[in-house]
Amino acid sequence: MSSPEPLEERAPEGPKTPPAKDSMTPRIGVFVCHCGSNIAGTVDVSKVREAAEKVPGVVVAKENKYTCSDLGQEEIIKAVKENDVNRVVVAACSPRMHEPTFRSCIQEAGLNPYMLQMVNVREQCSWVHSKEKDRATEKAVDLVRMGIAKAEKLVPLEAREVPVEQSSLVIGGGVAGIQAALDLAQMGFKVFVVESEPSIGGRMAQLDKTFPTGDCAICILAPKMVELARHPNITLLSYSEVEDVSGFIGNYSVKVRRKARYVVEDKCVGCGVCADACPVKVDNKFDMGFGKRKAIYVPFPQAVPLKYTIDKDNCIHFKTGKCKACLKACANEAIDHEMEDEMVELKVGTIICATGFDIYVPMKRGVYKYWEYQNVITGLELERLLNASGPTGGHLIRPSDGESPKRVAFIQCVGSRNKKIGNDYCSRVCCMYSMKNAQIIKEHEPDTEIAVYYNDIRAFGKGFEELYHRVREEYGIEFIRGRPAKLSEDSETNSITIRAEETLLNKITEREFDLIVLSTGLQPSEGSKRIGKILSLSLSPDGFFQEAHPKLRPVDTAVDGIYLAGCAQGPKDIPDSVAQAKAAAASAASIMAGKKVKIEPLTASINEELCIGCGLCVEMCPYGAPEIVETDNGTKAKVVEALCHGCGTCVAACPQKAITANQFTDEQIASEIVSALGGMEGTNGKARKPAKKAEEA
Amino acid sequence: MGEVEKTFISGLREKLVEDRVIDESQLEPDFAKEIVKHGGKDVMTCLQCGNCTGVCPISLKIDYKTRSIIKFCQFGLKKFTLETRWVCATCYRCYEHCPADINPAEVMIALRHIAIKEGVIPPFIKMAASNLLKYGQSVKPDPEIERVRRELELVDMPSRDKEYAKVVREINLLVRSTGYDKLIGIESEVKT
Repeated sequence: MSSPEPLEERAPEGPKTPPAKDSMTPRIGVFVCHCGSNIAGTVDVSKVREAAEKVPGVVVAKENKYTCSDLGQEEIIKAVKENDVNRVVVAACSPRMHEPTFRSCIQEAGLNPYMLQMVNVREQCSWVHSKEKDRATEKAVDLVRMGIAKAEKLVPLEAREVPVEQSSLVIGGGVAGIQAALDLAQMGFKVFVVESEPSIGGRMAQLDKTFPTGDCAICILAPKMVELARHPNITLLSYSEVEDVSGFIGNYSVKVRRKARYVVEDKCVGCGVCADACPVKVDNKFDMGFGKRKAIYVPFPQAVPLKYTIDKDNCIHFKTGKCKACLKACANEAIDHEMEDEMVELKVGTIICATGFDIYVPMKRGVYKYWEYQNVITGLELERLLNASGPTGGHLIRPSDGESPKRVAFIQCVGSRNKKIGNDYCSRVCCMYSMKNAQIIKEHEPDTEIAVYYNDIRAFGKGFEELYHRVREEYGIEFIRGRPAKLSEDSETNSITIRAEETLLNKITEREFDLIVLSTGLQPSEGSKRIGKILSLSLSPDGFFQEAHPKLRPVDTAVDGIYLAGCAQGPKDIPDSVAQAKAAAASAASIMAGKKVKIEPLTASINEELCIGCGLCVEMCPYGAPEIVETDNGTKAKVVEALCHGCGTCVAACPQKAITANQFTDEQIASEIVSALGGMEGTNGKARKPAKKAEEA
Repeated sequence: MGEVEKTFISGLREKLVEDRVIDESQLEPDFAKEIVKHGGKDVMTCLQCGNCTGVCPISLKIDYKTRSIIKFCQFGLKKFTLETRWVCATCYRCYEHCPADINPAEVMIALRHIAIKEGVIPPFIKMAASNLLKYGQSVKPDPEIERVRRELELVDMPSRDKEYAKVVREINLLVRSTGYDKLIGIESEVKT
């Protein structure tokens, strides 16, 4: 981790409120929440309040129906002011839920926000002990006593602020990345877009038309691609890879490798003379291997940037050194075979991860014979065959003989909803893209007979059900409910017979087709695994990136300042990807527009006198927060607070006990333990049970 | 109501039968759990895709649809599932192809366990069991088969061996002590 911006020195403790008030003898206010019947249904809240009242140091104890409500908060403020309370214990739900709420509440009452102790009597008590009401109440009392014991030892803390870099990095130049970048640029932030392919556009650029409206994909995408390339606030780094990211929210530094494309971008005008001259022909990856391209190429005619790239693996010059046909052909002297990869360093405040998806590749020896029968193709291959700028100019053919197929079958759920291969999820787009493609085939060749072998049809989006209706009503597409069991090829005609149970008929059927299209699902892209490691993002069970909260923080990640957009987070159609991209851009902007970001003070701090600079903490920290610095007093460890998550690993590891975790100090934890064991240390020695033993121990 | 014939207004004659409605009285609650208890996987996760029927070598030939049996199990229609389940050859092809990772073959085995416990025992099972007691093998020794074996220079069936009587006695003992005889209803045939 590189050194971040220097932080403000630690402010003296508790400057916002009169210091005298916080450091006075503990005057504790306890507020026990009913949470409707969530807590009160199991725990006898009044008993808990009564028990809390009796604990020395507690000056006021109250119960509320909903402590988090306006009314509940007002009551806290009132009680704090009336009783001169300087520490607050709230016994309610998980601190993840409402700790911030109550912090700002007691701040309003004039206390330091960190003089709050949450006691979780919902998730950790009432919800898990709903069948043992008496014992649940007993446990709640114990938990509250522990909370009170810790509250006595609380010290005021101050949140720190760090400046936020006014720029953003967008990883991935598909439709989600493009939209996020455009939105941020429009708001006035600098945006760097890193795309690993020679052109932006992503998967959407490969599609023919889009469901359910039938808009031409590239026709609606290309203007956005061009706008992105021309936007003064956007720097496009195509054919580049993110190599390393370090830093923290507001202050990320990013290393990007600009792969050598052997064509000088500034000089290339995209005329294509070099490609005409190039003698090498290889399969075009963009056309899913159906068409051919040269070793010097642009992936598709509408590519942005329209700059040629030399495919090093197939170029004769790089293999034998004998060919320089492109060099001779180029009038602008744009070609440079000596070009090398270049490293670029960027400073950004936020990152949007839009690394997209890969198409599921059918198994080598699978039932659907994708690798054995020529006339079995995938959905994306069909898109290229239907595309007017595709290898066949939009004319659908059978790969085996180039004839146009008269009978076409779609097989749904290939690589989705399948526990055997570990893809349990629904890919969400296959039902609709198959219907859309079936419609296009019918429009080209009205005589074609089309059947869709499906399991469940998911037509949940806007206009989807209408498309489902239209393809049956107008185009007579047949829907067969059953998962094909066996495909067999006629060796002469290369037509394929599908055996399947038509489950609604309860009969096994066999039908012959000329072309089989496997509606392959979506899966996390290879590149996104690498990026996930670099950004330390966690994955959900399906392998896509995990959002911070499935409902309330759907575009955030667990790492502050990093957001998700598009299929990197899970399978999505184009409108959803664009919507999420806009949400991610807005979230990133909300951080950057604030200019400064607050860093939680619940971090580790190092006592320099005790520290011997052994560096064990540096080794142990999963976030790279501590670093070794030379000071006047010798080699010492120092914690970069913005990186610290307050996990406590270094605290436990430090052989000198030189590290303290704020709000989880040894003293605070010990007081909780003593209280749990029955002793009430610090409360005039009064004890619930014989406490001496505990204290002696 | 018995089967009666009724003439409709148009003169069309149609057989009227009892209401063909499956009501709750015919459903067995928690049948899926019972199957799990007898070693089958949870049938409730079945997607009803029909892949199992399509690959089943038995389903092709006779009116037996793996998927619909699983559907009966999901629904709790126990009485529909107890009689014809012996045709499954437990070749496990359905398991190989099942995207929901259920094992229909083992569900069939669980259904057999349940059927036997309920006393729904087909005659050939009883026959096989009494053969086991008599000859130490579920198939009755057949002189014709033994002739063919000799012709093909295969070793004799173990049941030809004099020593084998000891094994048969042990099998009888096992059958008695495990209660298998009572379950199948062949107590009278056991010799110990």
